[in-house]
Amino acid sequence: MANLNIDSVKERTFDAIVIGSGMSGGWAAKEFTDKGLKTLILERGRDVKHIKDYPTTNMYPWEFEHRGELPMSVQEANPIVNRCYAFGESAAHFFVKDAEHPYIQDKPFDWIRGYQVGGKSLLWARQTQRWSDFDFEGPARDGFAVDWPIRYKDIAPWYSYVEKFAGISGNRDGIAELPDGEFLPAFPLNTVEEYFRDHVKSKYKNRYVISARCAHLSTPKQIHLDQGRVQCQRRTICERGCPFGGYFSANATTIPWALKSGHATLRPFSVVESIIYDDKLGKATGVRVIDTNTKEAIEYYAKVIFVNAAALNTNLILLNSKSHRFPNGLGNDSGVLGKYVAFHNYSAHIGAEYDGAKEWTTDGRNPAGGGYIPRFRNVYKQETDFLRGYASGFSAYRYPERSWDGVGSSLKDNLANKELGPWHVGSHMMGETIPKESNFVSLDDKQKDTWGVPLLKMNIDYDDNDEKMKKDYVEQLTEMFTSAGFTNIKASTDRRAPGLDIHEMGGARMGNDPKTSILNKWNQVHSVKNVFVTDGASMTSTSCQNPSLTYMAFTARAADYAMSEMKKGNI
Amino acid sequence: MDRRTVIKNLALIIGGAALLPACSQDKAKSKVALKNIDITADQEQLIGDVAETIIPKTTTPGAKDLQLHLFVLKMLDDCYKKEDQQAFVTGMGHFADQSKKLYSKTFDQLDTKTREAFLLGIEQEGKAEEAAAQKSGDEKNAAPATPPAGKYSPELKKFYSIVKRQTINGYTNSKYFMTNIVVYELVPGRYNAHFPYKQKQAV
Repeated sequence: MANLNIDSVKERTFDAIVIGSGMSGGWAAKEFTDKGLKTLILERGRDVKHIKDYPTTNMYPWEFEHRGELPMSVQEANPIVNRCYAFGESAAHFFVKDAEHPYIQDKPFDWIRGYQVGGKSLLWARQTQRWSDFDFEGPARDGFAVDWPIRYKDIAPWYSYVEKFAGISGNRDGIAELPDGEFLPAFPLNTVEEYFRDHVKSKYKNRYVISARCAHLSTPKQIHLDQGRVQCQRRTICERGCPFGGYFSANATTIPWALKSGHATLRPFSVVESIIYDDKLGKATGVRVIDTNTKEAIEYYAKVIFVNAAALNTNLILLNSKSHRFPNGLGNDSGVLGKYVAFHNYSAHIGAEYDGAKEWTTDGRNPAGGGYIPRFRNVYKQETDFLRGYASGFSAYRYPERSWDGVGSSLKDNLANKELGPWHVGSHMMGETIPKESNFVSLDDKQKDTWGVPLLKMNIDYDDNDEKMKKDYVEQLTEMFTSAGFTNIKASTDRRAPGLDIHEMGGARMGNDPKTSILNKWNQVHSVKNVFVTDGASMTSTSCQNPSLTYMAFTARAADYAMSEMKKGNI
Repeated sequence: MDRRTVIKNLALIIGGAALLPACSQDKAKSKVALKNIDITADQEQLIGDVAETIIPKTTTPGAKDLQLHLFVLKMLDDCYKKEDQQAFVTGMGHFADQSKKLYSKTFDQLDTKTREAFLLGIEQEGKAEEAAAQKSGDEKNAAPATPPAGKYSPELKKFYSIVKRQTINGYTNSKYFMTNIVVYELVPGRYNAHFPYKQKQAV
């Protein structure tokens, strides 16, 4: 009997455990297995195998029962996820349904989640920009949150490292606030996007319109072919999963790579209830998992644990990992765990028309989505009555205008019209928000989910800074559009709840001082040296760049550090 | 279009819904299995006639060839709120009554020109009301405008707008349309950012 137990413990013991298999967890798994570490990858959702489990990926529009729309019963049962732009008939199977995983909204928060192997990396908008020191120095310069414990030079080589493997397309634009990377050829701007680029350049200092940098294989390199991926086919139906591996997802890239090594064990249907901390040893020894099918509790053990469950679920796990030493959550001596959660403000848009470039259109589709305007507000110095600023998307497009008026053969002719209308232009804001102690998540002390894990309570909201920034975006973009000669300019703002940006960050932030942060400059828990957090939870501030690329770089860097510490015997 | 294509399209339109075998078909029931609404064969016929008026057979297939009325019913059954479904059924009754009132004939007895005029009248009244509502919405602090008493009931207009919207939706997203009229490419394989275009001379 005793022998059996020993064998069983042995079977459940690994060198490394990675909680989560998405954008950042996949990277942790890849890095550890590359170096031969026996790695357990835990995923709370089901397995999604590349290509095999993309049921809609090759379907034509007419093959969808409701032509892309979801049945009303599904929409009514899912008011939260139904607000997400990608939640439709072609990709609904990759989203968490509202009723499956409840949470408590003390303040409204749209929590968009993808519980499966690959997580939300199947569903993301694939925009990838580096941070710069204008971002890392932000909190210290502007007096909010805490100082980042790193600067651009610390992370730059890791950006390069992950970019080469993931495949990022872009131009080397030479803009200090948006550092260049290791790029595959960019997707070009179209005629009107270029016109606006040139106009902005001639009229404004330090404002740029560039080709959006994105995680697509515009032209693959050998390393991408080695991953079994081929050139992006410009389909722009990425949220279904891509049979070509044309964009970066954990499913197409890091997870199969880790599995191919022979050193990885992937365990789906595994909710991590908590991390086990041993008071005597003074470190974490493993994790407690609930099998979602059998409801059985199982413990797994490892020398090092990476928490990559997605920002708020990482907070949940840490808060729920209570021990004699850490009664308020693992590594939470400072009391800041779950606090200083921030997000991105996406609540303004602007559209217009351009009466020109009539002799040009585009052909095919652009997976990059068009142009990107890096932050131009308060970059070099504080110049407005709000802190920080926003990046903006910018794209131009034209299409045949097909009137639905009337009936009969004239209507049929209208619907078949191929004559193009004028160019349309559009932009949306991506604003930085300021992390605050009053924006926090916590555990409910009574209500639990199906697996006995406490429900997460959301207290996250906009503030006055966000309102001022939104107003400024509308004013500035309206002015830029007007001066470019765009007409019929229509700006709109909405009252969306936080969360729909799907860029929630913080709660287990990095910092120099253990009294005011959870992680050190290596994404290592200050007081638990063998636990690392490298997903959105680790973010000290939010910048306004899309964050996934930064999570990838942090993860690769932290994994490298953890392995060197293991070699030295410090972990 | 040959019979085989029609049957294939029908299968696509109905998706997973069961087709009742013709031999045991209850005369009073619609051909398509519906979960939330009851539609008789006569009502299905009426929706088919309205859809065919909206997208008629010309040198190219029309609504009936493409079984668009069954698609309309499928969408109504699955993708609309209960109150819209009820308004649709009520409005369908009003529609039949109006046809008799205005023309002393049932809709299927009308010639194409009259059918078109009838539908356009409903459409125009709906448009005028929308414009008025838009205008009163634009004028801040204005009392909400009471809609002018129209010829057609709100339910009738709801019935017509759903049939029209879903007939067009089914048409423009049909395999026929997407492979022959406005071709849909699943795998473009290219993005040309600068593609010359010849604007036709304005007439």
